[in-house]
Amino acid sequence: MGAKCSKRAKKTATGPRRRRRRNRLRTCRTDERTMAQRRISGGKLFITAVYLVAMCRAVPVNDLLDRASQRSDKMHSLSTLLTQEMDSHFPPYGRMQMPRPADCHTSILQTPNDKEQALQVSESDLMSLARSLLRGWVDPLAVLSTNAITLPHPAKSSISSKIQELQEHSKSLADGLDILSGKMGPAAQTISFLPYTGGTDLGQDRVTILNKFNFLLSCLRRDSHKIDSFLKVLRCRAAKLQPELC
Amino acid sequence: MRTHLGLVMLCVMSAAGVCSSTSAPESPRQFDCRSREKETFSCWWEPGSDGGLPTEYRLFYEIENFRGVRECPDYVSAGENSCFFDKKHTSFWAEYIMMVVATNALGNASAQFQIPDVMNYVKPDPPVNVTVVVNSSAPSPFLEIRWKSPPNVDVRTGWVTPKYELRVKQNDSKEWKTVDIGAQTFFNFHNVEHGLLYMVQVRCNLDYGKWSEWSNTIFAKIPKHRQLEKYFWIFVFVFSLIPLLTAMYILVLKRKVVKQCLLPPVPGPKIKGVDVHLLKSGQSEDVVNALTGNQNFPPMAAWTEQVEDFLLVSDSDEWLLTDTFASEEKKDIFIIAAGLHLGLEIQCGDSTVDLNTWEKTDDSKEETKSNFLNTEPTNLPIEKQECLSGEEVSIQPNTSYVDIQQRPTLTDYSRVKEVNGDTILILNEEEIPHGSDAVKLKREVSVPDDYSRVKEVNSDVVFLEKGDSADGCCKKKEDHYTDWTNQKPIMPHDSELSKGFCSKMIANGYVDSVPSFSVK
Repeated sequence: MGAKCSKRAKKTATGPRRRRRRNRLRTCRTDERTMAQRRISGGKLFITAVYLVAMCRAVPVNDLLDRASQRSDKMHSLSTLLTQEMDSHFPPYGRMQMPRPADCHTSILQTPNDKEQALQVSESDLMSLARSLLRGWVDPLAVLSTNAITLPHPAKSSISSKIQELQEHSKSLADGLDILSGKMGPAAQTISFLPYTGGTDLGQDRVTILNKFNFLLSCLRRDSHKIDSFLKVLRCRAAKLQPELC
Repeated sequence: MRTHLGLVMLCVMSAAGVCSSTSAPESPRQFDCRSREKETFSCWWEPGSDGGLPTEYRLFYEIENFRGVRECPDYVSAGENSCFFDKKHTSFWAEYIMMVVATNALGNASAQFQIPDVMNYVKPDPPVNVTVVVNSSAPSPFLEIRWKSPPNVDVRTGWVTPKYELRVKQNDSKEWKTVDIGAQTFFNFHNVEHGLLYMVQVRCNLDYGKWSEWSNTIFAKIPKHRQLEKYFWIFVFVFSLIPLLTAMYILVLKRKVVKQCLLPPVPGPKIKGVDVHLLKSGQSEDVVNALTGNQNFPPMAAWTEQVEDFLLVSDSDEWLLTDTFASEEKKDIFIIAAGLHLGLEIQCGDSTVDLNTWEKTDDSKEETKSNFLNTEPTNLPIEKQECLSGEEVSIQPNTSYVDIQQRPTLTDYSRVKEVNGDTILILNEEEIPHGSDAVKLKREVSVPDDYSRVKEVNSDVVFLEKGDSADGCCKKKEDHYTDWTNQKPIMPHDSELSKGFCSKMIANGYVDSVPSFSVK
């Protein structure tokens, strides 16, 4: 390490420029010192991370599910508020003209439609469904976020902030579910791919833009409700030892 | 014929009736659905005009992702013009397309309704078993509110997670205080006061859907905490007594201090140089010194000399007298005194000096002085006054004041006749030399009883006079004194002992000195 510095210094130094050579030598050496320190600290971080991961396994699944369901609950609350806020100023003219819910990009995913069906699905499948839906909304949320800023709607700022919050919750929930799924079995690891093909542009005129925005939000609300319901069923199913939760 | 006529009549009438009011039914309106527990749901429609005929309504629906048109499974359970979908026929997160058809004899009408998601129509029943218990154990009372989820909601499996909201208000006020509870089924409401009646209501919702109706109102009255009030007032009373008692204590036992504080003593005037303590404890001399400011007054004799010095007022330089009382301003004052003396002198001498002469100018005074000086030895023997005061009073004719001199001591012992104890008797046959200081002190002398012949007494010396007795001298003198203004008085031959007169004179003489300071 020292050789590098000295070589550098030699290259740049000439006879009358002794001072500069010395300064360069000093800065070079200080840089090397900081890099060494970083390496040491990085090593330490790695060790602590490994330790934490090992410790994470000690966290009970119930607790993790509880946290996950809380997160999904918050997400559903936000999406509900968004639709309500959208409807307050959106002139609902002929619902038939609007795209139907079957046109949601996530409708291809087969999910339980009532309680009995939901109770019959296994935990792993429920987890897989939740994760798939969550993964399927990453792109559309980004599209919504970019379009919310320029939305021709009086409550666009509030809508925009809520969408951003939704994005954050979605990201953290996805990470948490990834950890959870690791403890549940191979079925939980499979994620159905739900591509969004709507494109980044919502439309040209105001009506089209608003329509599409509203449609996307309704789809989002349905899916957030699904995720929330599935996770809550999971939570209660896992908390057999703690009946007070459910 | 009659039966036919009757039938025709009936037909005509019925036809008339039908033509006036019957028609095909109108399509139903106002479609609404509700799910109470997120497991079943029911829908209602509002029928249009039935056209006067019995109309039948039927509902057909289609579910998203499910092929086939189905008919409402239950028209009865939810009431009239309704359709109840049980668990088997309920699908969430799926679109329902409803078609309601109204049919009567004349025709039918239909309407289509879209339900994008039944979940949007979830509205639960209100919570049940709402109990409110007043808890008065804490420093402030609070309401313990408990409730249960609606009975048809399945919370156990986690399919449904109800969220609650409660509100409380006083019986009198109009505003409710709303509290968002979350998923728990109990709450302690602390914002209550004693003696008031409160109303409590709870409601719930499922998955952020529609809120339920408010539950039945529960009343709760918080009792007045009299005991606490009693203790409170006792506490206040005791605490208010403490300052009162301390004030009484201070007033009674420390009244002097209080008096000093409230009514401070009025400070007396401060005189510079006066030490109050010295005045209280010191001697009279100190007091006098303190009061007069330590002015050092000279002794009385020196004072008289000073008086003499100060009072020398004269316009002319010629008139220089040792005795300085001859100011014109003081003439008047002294004339009166001197007049007395003059009276004597006039008696003694046959000078033509009148009283008026004293009022002449200084020059005349000088003349008179010179005159008197000349005539002194023969005509005007200086009257020697014998005074009890022990001071010499000699009158010098040209001056209008009484000269007070110290009595001289006896220096000429040639004339001593005999010595008797402490007294020295001097026989004096000659006339007493003028100008001699003749301060005669009369003292108690162990001399012959006959004092009439005593000419003069000088301290221990008693001068005996040959000759005439001066017995009735005083009387004579007095007589003469009274007559001096009018007549030329007879000059007494010899000096006499006079006491009272002297004292008078002297007294008068001393009077002079006083007004000397009050110069006009």
